[in-house]
Amino acid sequence: MGTEGSHKSLKTTKKKMKKNKDYHEKKKSKLAETEPNMDRVKEEKKKNKSLGKKRKHREKVSEPEATKVDHYSSEGKGPGEVDGQKKKVKLSRKKKINNDEINKADVGKVDELDNEVESGLNEQIGSLADRQNKERKLRKKRRKSDKEKKSGVEKVDELCNEVEDGSKEENDVSKKAHKAKKKARLSSKKDEKLLERREEPEQTEVYEMSSGDDDCSRGMKKWVTDYQQSRPGLKILQQRIDDFMTTFEAQEEQAKKEREALAAEGGWTVVVHHKGRKKTTDAETGVTVGSVAQAAVLDNMAKKKSKDVGLDFYRFQKREAQRNEIMALQSKFEQDKKRIQQLRAARKFKPY
Amino acid sequence: MASETVTNPMDFKVRELLKEVQLDYSPSFTKLVDETVSAIRETIHQIPEDLHVTEDVAPGFVRDIGADKVEFKFKKPKSIEIGGSYSMRCIAKPDVNVDLFVRMPKECFHEKDYLNYRYHAKRFLYLCIVKKYLKLSSVAQKVEWSTFQNEARKPILVVHPDMKLVESPQLLVRIIPTATSVFNVSKLNLDRNNVRALNQGGVLQATLKYNSSMLEDLFLEDNAEFVKRTFLGWKELGEALILLKVWARQRSSIYVHDCLNGFLISVIMAYLGTKSGRNRINNSMTTMQIFRVTMDFIATSKLWDNGLFFQHQGEQSTSKESRISLKSFPVVICGPFADFTLTFRMTRSGFLELRDEAALTLSCIDKCGDGGFDEVFMTRIDFPAKYDYCIRLNMKNHNEVYAMGFCLDDECWRSYEQKVLSLMHQALNDRAKTIRITWRNTLSGCNLEDGFSMFDREPLLIGISVSTLEKALRVVDIGPNAENKDEALKFRKFWGDKADLRRFKDGTIAESTVWDCKHWERYLIIRRIIDHVLVRHLSLSKENITTVVDQLDFSLLYGSEDPIAFSASLLEAFEVLSKRLRLLNDIPLRVSSVQPLDSAFRFTSVFPPRPHPLAVEKSVNLRLQKLTSSCIHPLEVMIQLEGSGNWPMDEVAIEKTKSAFLLKIGESLQNNWGMACNPTEDDVVVFTSGYAFRLKALHERGLNLLKRQIGSNQVKWVPSTDKILSIRGQHSSMINGLQGRFPIYGPVVRLAKRWVAAHFFSTSLEEEAVELLVAYLFLKPFPFYAPCSRIAGFLRFLRLLSEYDWAFSALIVDINGDLTVDDEKEINGNFTSSRKAYDENMQNTSPAVFLATSYDKASEAWTKSTPSSLELKRLVAYARSSADLLSKLILHDQPESYKWECLYRTPLSNYNAVVLLHRDKLPYPQRLLFPSELNQGRHVVRGSASKDFHPFILPGEMNGSVKDLKHKLMVDFDPLRCFVGDLEKLLPDTFKVWYDSLGGDAIGLTWEGLGSKVSKKRGREVGEGEDDFLDVLKNVGEAGKGFVRSIYFLKAPRLCN
Repeated sequence: MGTEGSHKSLKTTKKKMKKNKDYHEKKKSKLAETEPNMDRVKEEKKKNKSLGKKRKHREKVSEPEATKVDHYSSEGKGPGEVDGQKKKVKLSRKKKINNDEINKADVGKVDELDNEVESGLNEQIGSLADRQNKERKLRKKRRKSDKEKKSGVEKVDELCNEVEDGSKEENDVSKKAHKAKKKARLSSKKDEKLLERREEPEQTEVYEMSSGDDDCSRGMKKWVTDYQQSRPGLKILQQRIDDFMTTFEAQEEQAKKEREALAAEGGWTVVVHHKGRKKTTDAETGVTVGSVAQAAVLDNMAKKKSKDVGLDFYRFQKREAQRNEIMALQSKFEQDKKRIQQLRAARKFKPY
Repeated sequence: MASETVTNPMDFKVRELLKEVQLDYSPSFTKLVDETVSAIRETIHQIPEDLHVTEDVAPGFVRDIGADKVEFKFKKPKSIEIGGSYSMRCIAKPDVNVDLFVRMPKECFHEKDYLNYRYHAKRFLYLCIVKKYLKLSSVAQKVEWSTFQNEARKPILVVHPDMKLVESPQLLVRIIPTATSVFNVSKLNLDRNNVRALNQGGVLQATLKYNSSMLEDLFLEDNAEFVKRTFLGWKELGEALILLKVWARQRSSIYVHDCLNGFLISVIMAYLGTKSGRNRINNSMTTMQIFRVTMDFIATSKLWDNGLFFQHQGEQSTSKESRISLKSFPVVICGPFADFTLTFRMTRSGFLELRDEAALTLSCIDKCGDGGFDEVFMTRIDFPAKYDYCIRLNMKNHNEVYAMGFCLDDECWRSYEQKVLSLMHQALNDRAKTIRITWRNTLSGCNLEDGFSMFDREPLLIGISVSTLEKALRVVDIGPNAENKDEALKFRKFWGDKADLRRFKDGTIAESTVWDCKHWERYLIIRRIIDHVLVRHLSLSKENITTVVDQLDFSLLYGSEDPIAFSASLLEAFEVLSKRLRLLNDIPLRVSSVQPLDSAFRFTSVFPPRPHPLAVEKSVNLRLQKLTSSCIHPLEVMIQLEGSGNWPMDEVAIEKTKSAFLLKIGESLQNNWGMACNPTEDDVVVFTSGYAFRLKALHERGLNLLKRQIGSNQVKWVPSTDKILSIRGQHSSMINGLQGRFPIYGPVVRLAKRWVAAHFFSTSLEEEAVELLVAYLFLKPFPFYAPCSRIAGFLRFLRLLSEYDWAFSALIVDINGDLTVDDEKEINGNFTSSRKAYDENMQNTSPAVFLATSYDKASEAWTKSTPSSLELKRLVAYARSSADLLSKLILHDQPESYKWECLYRTPLSNYNAVVLLHRDKLPYPQRLLFPSELNQGRHVVRGSASKDFHPFILPGEMNGSVKDLKHKLMVDFDPLRCFVGDLEKLLPDTFKVWYDSLGGDAIGLTWEGLGSKVSKKRGREVGEGEDDFLDVLKNVGEAGKGFVRSIYFLKAPRLCN
């Protein structure tokens, strides 16, 4: 839905540009290949005009967008640069230039990789075609209306939230963005219509956040504070544990007393029968309790096991075992068959 | 029903496979073929008789092949018949070729045309005429040149018929000219010379291959007919042939011109099925039995040493002389008609490879699950996956190849292959187990009339399998003794300036070559040798040689240095620590054992730590260090204490007691050795020799305690901390052992882990799971041998991930080879029950990946909750495309934008929203692979960076005392982890967070639980849902204040449930 909305807003942007045609009359473009689309674009524009009234209210939408562009431009090429104190950033920017190429490759790769979000992919392809279409139109317009701009329209396009992966260079952003903004302003003056789109306020601006360095409740500050607070020093930690153990033992003691008291009240106690010597292993698992070596216990366990009577001692056991085996085989076969059906559905038998 | 009552899953699968690849001879299809063929026949018959043909038709070809006197008058072919696999009903899809034998008439040739390539030239001119008329006709949509078994001097025509059937696969008609009884066979005796240009000082040499090549054409139809007779009416034999074709096609190293082709397979089977081969295959055998017998015959039979001889039809048996001349071929299969071998193209290396593959296949059938069906028929065994080192030579415009002429006895490309092969053998010596060289001369869409110069378009491929790593990574090659002058001279000549006279420890003085390098760079030695030799002997420039070795290492390096180099000092530091721990005597219970847990100790950590200048006992001079990291990654070490009966019984109390012990230990280490100690309530970190170690105590009793955690609606049993510790301990020691057995294991794991993280799968696939997956490649390498290079291993990892049948099989990693049959039964039982639960409840996110080991038979250790089936889907898709890209990168030159980096560069468009982080707030900024930028989607949030944390100690802070500085050092501080943790706390079950724990600067978010959450709101407008998302994103931004750079909203999640 959002995509569609922004499509519309994009169109209106285009329209505005057209209106400002005379303003930027002298624009020449290198993109000769868009020529054939001329006619179509013109038609499109006409259509837009006729629809213009209906859409007027939407034009408003694009103004805030332009504001956003403005933010972006004032921010420069990368927010990280604002700090301007880290060599890292510079380094990475250098890399970035290289990576723009790779980025292009990614556009292709997206297609491959996007198996999982499959319908998302379709969407994307659809919108890609869509966008290309529009881009052509846009370029067309640009030819007429804008002189200095190289890819500003694309920029606007991107910032207008085309659900899309753009692979355009993002240098020159600020200049272009300024341009786009001016245009948008000019056109948006015209309409004062009522705004009814709900996403309006959200779409309008980038939500600015402070560094949060004065706010301990969340973010980096919190994590650093947490980190430091969890390290109060050896002594204090020891003290805490000692405290815990003391209260814990007290609780245990308390519980024991209560139990005893309870027993005393009833006037009788449950007698537990202890057989043989004191146990050194846990009954179920054979884990050593106390000081007996584990190896010895394991040894004992192994010996004990061997004394068990074989499972096929009685005839009925033998028969049962046989039957179980057959059942197992059958179920395995059934499973295999099921699995093969599944595989067949997935056409996994195709060795090419 | 009858067909479904097979008892053996292998048979069942083979049936299904056959159904898939067999061609359906439906009436409509046979009609199509018949019509096409008769149309072609008609067209050829319309060619005017006695058309005068001269070399002007194809001057380039005639020139390059070196023929003279090629004029002739065109006559109609004697016959045009369908032959080959179509007529035998043994076509294996997807290649549906109908071979059409066009018998050229004797009248077109002179008696002596067998000399000097006249036959070949005329044969080509004949085809040119046919091509011309076919192109004019309406029968062919397209007519293309191809070559017969990659033999350039014997082109054939490939016709793409105009008529097509919608449902049937693409049909191609191959027009193959034959020369039945055109020449006198005795003139083509193998010991005769028929190419006069081939002589050495005036002495003519026998032209074995040339003669064989012509004999082949002479008897092509007879041989095909003979094979067809054997196969017709014998269903099992035909099916087995199709299986063998499928098998061979999956193996690109043997299904090539110098080894096997479909016809040769059928000849071998025909041999085994007739009297000549003593009826080794008989009518009572099933398809799979025939397959196996053939495989066994190829792999083990001694008959190959002498050659296979068919019984001659009618005439006397093969004469002794011809047997002797046949001996000069590495493999001999002498057909029933004339004394020449059908395998004259087969090379020794090709044949050895074939036998090796056959032997490997037999062991697959024996050892692998389900009769090795997947390994034998379904797994692609191409150069990149099979060979440890792949080298690609770009031979474009390399004139040296045909300096002597394109065709003498053999073709120049084939001779060049042999030349490169012998060079490689000499250069690598016993380092290599097998060396395979292939130079395919495909020429789709080019004009053969212009000659052979475009045959160098494809790169020449060299594949090398390493014998053993010790040999392969040897630093010094000892050559001949200095006293042996001749040999020494040869050695010097071969190695050039690399040869060196050296005196060895045992006193010998010998020629030698030394490939000096750092220990962790030794895997590059093979590349250095190859580069040196190829540049020296083939006058190739370095940029034309692409050796695939270290192209992915950029992802593991710090600058130009691999941090693995510090592993030795790390192990030393650990030794010191464990000694000190054991010597402690001022604590109530003594330390009985110390065991390393962290992956850095077993060489499988992507970034093993470097010694930190602040994490030492003594004072330090920081001035020397330019950038000192303010974070340090602690390495976990597990200790066990002496047994005692005084431990508390309660779980919490046990943990507290452990902490108390650890604190005591830390204190004691501090007092005794001055090791700084950095404790928190849960663990104690101590510093020594530049490393930080985090101590963990294991208490046996805790092993059986299970924590009861009550989830939303069911009770889950969570293993206690002790249980987890003990599993990690076992895993660690097992992997460490494995790493010792396979030295290349570590690097492969590191590449794999880096890949997993780089694509934001850090939460989806645990590090240990990656280790197990890679371990599987080494323990169960079928149908390969265990990989011996990092890239081959990495590629196989990606393929395993993408191709393994996760839904229906458990992956059993038997690290020490000690799982018994019962164990496996138990594992499979566990697997079945987990899948049953899954089947019953599709929402259930029970392990999508079932990884079982001897210490964890129910796949609970690493893959219990992740990856979910959704994550697995994404993983598989990413792995598949990465694997494809990687194979392409190895085999072909890729355009600029598709370079190696792409494998580690994840697309950011596949998420609903993307959070970008401040790069200079990452704890280890140097690990960042690619800075992420987004120019799509809606920019929703922007935040500025915090000043509270810097990944490097600032110069201004350097001046404080050492103690202060040490205090500044942050142990295991990872804002990314904190952020993700906070997100899960603040906005539980809202979305799935995808991130790179190793040091990415972006986080992907995909909405989750849309089915339940959003569908409630469906009554309202959809746009409102979007508002919610934006609000949520703002909250996300708030949670990461000071760390989040910006948030982009890419696409609204799909609103379907």
